[in-house]
Amino acid sequence: MSQEHESTVLEAETEISGHSRETLLGLYEMLVKCRMADEKARILFRQSKFAGNFFSGVGQEATEVGSAYTLRDDDWIAPSHRDWTANIIKGVPLKLCFAQLFAKTTSPDRGRSAPAHMGYGPLNIITPASSIAGQMNLGTGVALGLKKLGRDSVVVSFFGDGATSFGGTHEAMNFAGVHRLPIIFVCQNNLWAESVPLRLQTALTDLSDRAKAYGFPGISVDGNNVLAVYDAANDAIARARKGQGPTFIECKTYRWYGHSEIDPAKYRSKEELESWKKKDPVAQFEKKLYAEGLLNDEMKKAIAVNITEQINEAVDFADQSPYPDASELTDYVWA
Amino acid sequence: MPRIITYIDAINEALRQEMERDERVFLLGEDIGLSGGVFKATAGLLDKFGEDRVIDSPLAEGIIIGASLGAAMVGWRPVPEIQFADFITPAMEQLIQQAAKLRYRSAGAFECPITVRVCCGGGMGSGLYHSQENAGWFVHEPGLKVVMPATAYDAKGLLLAAIRDPNPVLYFEHKKLYRGVKDDVPEGDYTVEIGRALVRREGTDLTVLTYGSMVHTALASAEEMAKQGVFAEVVDLRTLSPLDKDTILASVRKTNKCMIVHEDKRTMGIGAELAAIVSEEAFEDLDGPIMRITGPDVPAIPFSPALEKAWMVDQPKVVAAMEQLAAY
Repeated sequence: MSQEHESTVLEAETEISGHSRETLLGLYEMLVKCRMADEKARILFRQSKFAGNFFSGVGQEATEVGSAYTLRDDDWIAPSHRDWTANIIKGVPLKLCFAQLFAKTTSPDRGRSAPAHMGYGPLNIITPASSIAGQMNLGTGVALGLKKLGRDSVVVSFFGDGATSFGGTHEAMNFAGVHRLPIIFVCQNNLWAESVPLRLQTALTDLSDRAKAYGFPGISVDGNNVLAVYDAANDAIARARKGQGPTFIECKTYRWYGHSEIDPAKYRSKEELESWKKKDPVAQFEKKLYAEGLLNDEMKKAIAVNITEQINEAVDFADQSPYPDASELTDYVWA
Repeated sequence: MPRIITYIDAINEALRQEMERDERVFLLGEDIGLSGGVFKATAGLLDKFGEDRVIDSPLAEGIIIGASLGAAMVGWRPVPEIQFADFITPAMEQLIQQAAKLRYRSAGAFECPITVRVCCGGGMGSGLYHSQENAGWFVHEPGLKVVMPATAYDAKGLLLAAIRDPNPVLYFEHKKLYRGVKDDVPEGDYTVEIGRALVRREGTDLTVLTYGSMVHTALASAEEMAKQGVFAEVVDLRTLSPLDKDTILASVRKTNKCMIVHEDKRTMGIGAELAAIVSEEAFEDLDGPIMRITGPDVPAIPFSPALEKAWMVDQPKVVAAMEQLAAY
């Protein structure tokens, strides 16, 4: 039953020496922030502090951090249901992220979308629908709009391996290829689409092979290596800004928990999970930074303490915020 | 001096004038550019505005709508075309899950003002998959406005209003009217307000609620009934969502009888909702049953002319119903 990414993953230039100390520590801190916020969200769900469901991205942090870290405010993200933390990376205040989970009136969508389905207008993060891959069509349209405006802004669209089977995904990537749109398709291939293994999802080994069919470059990278993702994404973003069109980046990764918080993920073997936990994107990067003398125990502790404080403050804010009034039910139906 | 032009020319003129007026407007659809549209609704526009504004799309309705929505989110005013209403189904994800809900689910952070031109309707011998009049599918989705003009005047005025509306609008154009209807259309700029029905013919004895090509069938039937001394009032809904309840109810309260005429299938169709509204809000005013004269509950309009004729609501069917209702 155990699945592995069998292909030879193209190792992008991941030499630590090619990056500034500031970038490396910034990436690390963001990885830790996403991990801690996500784990906190899971605890809050278990404590019944919020209802509905949550789609944890623990184990996949490097895919989001690596590809969204350098985005500008005027760039766009088209997230999926598992990209709540993409909001954190793009700079949405943590208190809004937790207010979103709690469905409070202080959340960006005033309690309308499901907890993990978060977007944020001021930073161009499209509030996602639950329908898988719908965000790729919207993202492609935004990219068309940006190109027509003559701007050099780009769109990063996140989606999982399951979404690659959806017809709308084909339509979006084909159209993006035809018009050489400034969009980066970041596929977080975590081997399982809810409970369906990759072997029943596609006959492909490398999902980036799909890019060939659309006439733009595709690359498969180790999605648990934040620098591999970062380098591939930055190349793609630079190409998109120059009008050279889309890129498909497959990030081979793994989610540690179930599809959602109510999924015990019994369809996966313990051995498979343990083998992936050994490739923890946060711990691996931390080890590299220690080896390079860029990080020590004291710094690590200070980062964790600081993030814990921010999270606690955000949770308090969310907790104390009111629920929307019933009279708001019909607001925002019509412009 | 009246300026009589066809319904399809009115559509073409509205697109051309609005593209001249507003640089944010662009068109996206199958065969709309080089060919000028299957029915020539977009003829001449590629030459005038170029490939950036008249985009021949891949054969993929989902991305025709999806790309339009995304472009609208960054300030464009796209007018995508669905060549035949029958083939709107691949775009349902984009229309129902995205267009109708984007504004709501983001509490107004994102908006997607697109105008989807949808060519619809039967009575032209076009068979199962080129004849459907399915506007009723979308009326069930708050967040989407739905309009269907019956005259060339409204075709232009409603299209201009739709493009300028901040909400996503589905603009259904009936292919039988393209060259089957001609009327006086001002050359200049004007809009027909979305959400406003129009009493096309005043009457005292019964109200007909209808839209699209059936407006003309209802008017001809009312004319025939007038010779028998029965005066039907014909209300052209023009906008199917949001409905103009005020005009509908005012007419029913005046005539005390109501019939609904539409081309689309019967069960759970627009007529069912109209009947429910009239029953709930004008029950005391009714002197007879609310009648529906509609297409049958058959999957789609069959190709054989004999079978299509059996499907279509026509003047004899409407007149017979009017006689029945008038007798109450």
